[in-house]
Amino acid sequence: MTRATVSHAGASPSASILAGLARYALVLALVGVFAIFSALAPSFLTAGNLQSILVNNFALLGIVSIAMTFSVSAGGIDLSVGTAVDFASFTFVSLVLAGQPIPLAGLAGLAGGGLVGVFNALLISGVGISPFLATLGTLFVGRSVQQLLTNGGNPVYLPPAGVPEAFRFLGHGTVAGIPAPLAAAAVVIVLAALVLARARFGRVVLSIGIHPGVVRYSGIRVRLHLAAVYVLVALIASVAGLILTSTVTVYIPFSGNAFLLNAIGATFIGTTLDRHGRPNIAGTVLGVLLLGIVANGLLLTGLNFYWQQVGTGILIFAVLAISFANRKAAAGA
Amino acid sequence: MSVDTDLSSYADTQEGAAKRDPELLRRLAPFLLRGGAILAFIAVFVFFAVSAPFFFTAGNIGNVLAQSAIPGVLVIGLTIVMIAGGSNVVTGGMDLSLAANMGLSAAVYATLSQAGHGDAAAIAGALATGLAVGAVNAAAVVLAGIIPLLATLAVMNVVAGFELVLTQNTVIPAASDFLSILSALGPFGIPALAYVLVGFTAIVALIVQNTPFGLRLYAVGEFPEAARAAGLSVRPFVAGSFVASGFCGGVAGILSASYLSGSTTGAGEMLLPVVVTALLGTVFSRRLVPTVTGTLLSALFVGFLINGFQLLNISSTLVSGVQGLLILLVVSATTLLNRREMQ
Repeated sequence: MTRATVSHAGASPSASILAGLARYALVLALVGVFAIFSALAPSFLTAGNLQSILVNNFALLGIVSIAMTFSVSAGGIDLSVGTAVDFASFTFVSLVLAGQPIPLAGLAGLAGGGLVGVFNALLISGVGISPFLATLGTLFVGRSVQQLLTNGGNPVYLPPAGVPEAFRFLGHGTVAGIPAPLAAAAVVIVLAALVLARARFGRVVLSIGIHPGVVRYSGIRVRLHLAAVYVLVALIASVAGLILTSTVTVYIPFSGNAFLLNAIGATFIGTTLDRHGRPNIAGTVLGVLLLGIVANGLLLTGLNFYWQQVGTGILIFAVLAISFANRKAAAGA
Repeated sequence: MSVDTDLSSYADTQEGAAKRDPELLRRLAPFLLRGGAILAFIAVFVFFAVSAPFFFTAGNIGNVLAQSAIPGVLVIGLTIVMIAGGSNVVTGGMDLSLAANMGLSAAVYATLSQAGHGDAAAIAGALATGLAVGAVNAAAVVLAGIIPLLATLAVMNVVAGFELVLTQNTVIPAASDFLSILSALGPFGIPALAYVLVGFTAIVALIVQNTPFGLRLYAVGEFPEAARAAGLSVRPFVAGSFVASGFCGGVAGILSASYLSGSTTGAGEMLLPVVVTALLGTVFSRRLVPTVTGTLLSALFVGFLINGFQLLNISSTLVSGVQGLLILLVVSATTLLNRREMQ
């Protein structure tokens, strides 16, 4: 903020107020939509509904967005997070169907999703393809692999009678009274924040995102760290895959892709919170919350379902426009 | 940068004898790659011509051209944005709203047509929709300064939402003389849409590849600083590229209304294939940059692949895999060659 304040020092007071508003556009938007929906929809501000927002709208997208935040922090992007979700889900369901114990199937699911990350790592660190193109390729190849595995894209159901209770735990269970998906999201968020803020690995990842050349000349192996980032991204996304599968007890091909654009949106909306416009965990979490609250609130107000998408889109657009315009003004002044 | 040079000259002396070969390879590489892409096109074409009955008939090739018309026009729009915005897909030129734009434009056309308006009004409505979406993108990128990937992602959501509002997620049939002409066969028994694709590409290619305006478009995208220093204002070009891309979305909307006899849901599905096709298009160009003709070749390449698979009864599910592998292959090759060039 210092930079913006200084650069606006000569400008009118209203300009610096505007800059301040833009800096906290995300927080203001959150408070704003929260207040509006509390006023418009009586059922919005109830414990039940707030929990529903956190469990149904926040948890899964939150986990995938944290994964996305890692890749964007490292200066890249991962368009195949949904593919990792799908692969984890497919492996998990298949092994449970084959009668394997749940913990083993869960671990295998993580490994299955992690494979997507290994593939990305080979392309990005091994071959040196830009992350956008590499993961776009992975997205397409992954789609085809799923079609081949499922006979053209048929869902894999678990027979309702045969679903073990342990399988449903991740989606429906509770940990110390907290719904399991939310608990898992909280753990992922806290760990990710710790790694990025405190661990050496996190610092290297952030530095690669800002200036890979400097990191390389400091004697740090950039490619190795990048490879680790993309495997980590896939593993985090796989956690969401396991929870998703456990919630709906079915693997639906390509369903993970539904998270992709929202995760990108949440991550970049989150960058507006940072003074240098860098991706950050807190911003991402608030971004996911904003998307979740808007989706839930618009549903409750009884607004036509299709207008909801327009409303969400315009809100996101406004947040982005305000903060980018401000950043541009700060940089230009 | 100087460190880089020192290191590489050190590496060169280390390698010594092996140096001459890469040198030759480096000079030949772009030609090999470009030749390789065209060879691959020809190989695929010949393979299908030999193995698939009916593939090498005027009717079938006309059909492929017609089927490629809608994605082709969209990809051309994206190509213009990529030229003016630079090749970095994350911070440079990208328009994710194209497919949604096409859907909304088609919906506007079908709705106007249903409401009893004539072709002229419907065409104007669809094109105005496309241009409006492009203008919003342009404003978001140039005025607000949002990076294109993000700006067009947000616009895509809004546009897709408007399409849902307008159509209530249903199919809106549309029939008119103009649409019938577009979806019918043209001269020589080749679908009219095929002529539209070829004509549209020719006009845009002429403007982008052969005029001073087109040259400036490239300058602005590849070397914005140099372009600015030479007295070009970068922002109008970038803004113009998004408006042009929006126009392409509107045109594709009209074509899709004719091809599908109305507007249907699911236009968004087309987004990623369109992005891939545009990126693939760069290997069909001499300097490995986005070009309109390269884009057309790339769109036709994908079109022939899908068509050949269908004729051979190979599951079309393989198409996305082949597209994915192609892009990885192409991009790996370019990256490896570029890296060699850097050294």
